[in-house]
Amino acid sequence: MQSIGNGAAPIEVLLVEDNPGDVRLTREAFKDAKVHINLHVAADGAEAMSFLGRQGNFAHVPRPDLILLDLNLPKKDGREVLGEIKASPTLMSIPVVILTTSASDADILHSYRLHANCYITKPVGLGGFLEVIKSIDSFWLSVVKLPREERS
Amino acid sequence: MSSSANALAQQIGTGIELTGRQKDGSEFPIEIMLSPLENADGILVTAAIRNISVRKDAELHLAQMEGRYRGLLEAAPDAMVVVNQGGEIVLLNVQAEKQFGYSRDELLGQRVTNIIPNGFAERLIADGTRSAAEALAQQIGTGIELTGRQKDGSEFPIEIMLSPLENADGILVTAAIRNITERKQSEERLVKTVGELKRSNDELQQFAYVASHDLQEPLRMVASYTQLLAQRYKGRLDSDADEFITYAVDGSTRMQGLIQDLLTYSRAGTNGKALREISSETALKEALASLRATIAESGAVVTHDSLPTITTEGTQLTQVFQNLVGNAIKYHGAQAPQVHVSAAKDGGGEWIFSVRDNGMGIEPQYFDRIFVLFQRLHGPTEFKGTGIGLAICKKMLDGLGGKIWVESQPQKGSTFYFTVPERNGS
Repeated sequence: MQSIGNGAAPIEVLLVEDNPGDVRLTREAFKDAKVHINLHVAADGAEAMSFLGRQGNFAHVPRPDLILLDLNLPKKDGREVLGEIKASPTLMSIPVVILTTSASDADILHSYRLHANCYITKPVGLGGFLEVIKSIDSFWLSVVKLPREERS
Repeated sequence: MSSSANALAQQIGTGIELTGRQKDGSEFPIEIMLSPLENADGILVTAAIRNISVRKDAELHLAQMEGRYRGLLEAAPDAMVVVNQGGEIVLLNVQAEKQFGYSRDELLGQRVTNIIPNGFAERLIADGTRSAAEALAQQIGTGIELTGRQKDGSEFPIEIMLSPLENADGILVTAAIRNITERKQSEERLVKTVGELKRSNDELQQFAYVASHDLQEPLRMVASYTQLLAQRYKGRLDSDADEFITYAVDGSTRMQGLIQDLLTYSRAGTNGKALREISSETALKEALASLRATIAESGAVVTHDSLPTITTEGTQLTQVFQNLVGNAIKYHGAQAPQVHVSAAKDGGGEWIFSVRDNGMGIEPQYFDRIFVLFQRLHGPTEFKGTGIGLAICKKMLDGLGGKIWVESQPQKGSTFYFTVPERNGS
């Protein structure tokens, strides 16, 4: 076990997001990040679970250090993905940041009950969105010490 | 005199009413029963004479009573039936005949259970020990819903009002019977209509929410990428491109504001939100915190009196304060905006809140219009806005059981008032 955040090794981030526009905006925002980020994208919940389970095409992907998870996803809902991650002994230690358009109290409460590590509503404006991604970068990827398990 | 056989046939069992005269010349009513008695001398007649003055008095009394009540009974709009303590019908009016499909003779002396099979009437009547006063105290003004039965057996809903009528023979009960078939039907229609209305209202609300939420997603993309375009390429294309991008950014930003406000509007006043005892002063402070930038930019001075603790829904109260104070600042006059918030209790136990400003004011003909969705008094170049803010306030206050209105003089300022009903004696 070694901590990361200020070392040379890149940080692996899995973004689970079905909207390519948001994927691109997230990439743009991470361009100015203080640390080197490898951004991986899963376009739906099923793909995210394959990625995390290193199944099929994902046999050689790294284990993410942080997951950015949208709630409303095709095939497998973000809520199911969150539940499966937090129920898995091998995945549960990966911090999950919910990043969604939903601002509903029910979604927020439900996500925290499923042990989401934080919940963010996507701001409507470009400035706000870029700001949010930057704060994820500065808090989760710089301030916070993330658990790092042995990579296979 | 006819033959004894004839006399026998004529007289047996019949009492003839005649008048008897005493020695002192006074007369009295008699009933006389004649029976022939044959003996050797011919036919004798035995006359059994009964003084019937007592019975005559009673009959007179009844006739008088009937005379007294007849007019009253017939004038009544309802079917009226008078019942004795034996549960027998002693008097009725024409409406009762029509209502139940019987002729008067068919009902007189019959049990009231023939026309009202079950219910209070018989219970009241059966309870012979009840005093008139007691019966009176219990019955007046109460309409009991029962079922009436017509001669042909068909049943219909009735409302019955019972009132005791004391006379020499005891307590009679007057029953005013109203056919409430139509009322029942319109009650059912009303319940059905209210249900349908609620359903369609819920659907509409759901629709507005889903539509505005789902519209927001693609719009967020349009807005974000036109903004990104503006940031990255301003001055790098030609001046036409810059102008086009400016309009695209402006349009998408305004539409985002509209959709945000529509979302708030569709959620406003929805039931099921918990009412709590909250400090309206805290609600105002939360609203002012959201308006911090606006207040600082405009140099506005916002003051308030001590505000009460009330039982209501806090989030919506904050939103109302935020919209009203925000408007007071936005539509300012020549001087820096001064806004004052206060509250007073009216006679009816409601709190009246007021938000007073020294702004540009509103002409009286627009006092109602400003609370209607999308109604604006200014173009977007004068004042930005969606025309939804006051409609949100109105909808929220409607939902909380309150009201909102404005008093204003152009150039002198406006005062917006709203009420929040008093609950739980707080």
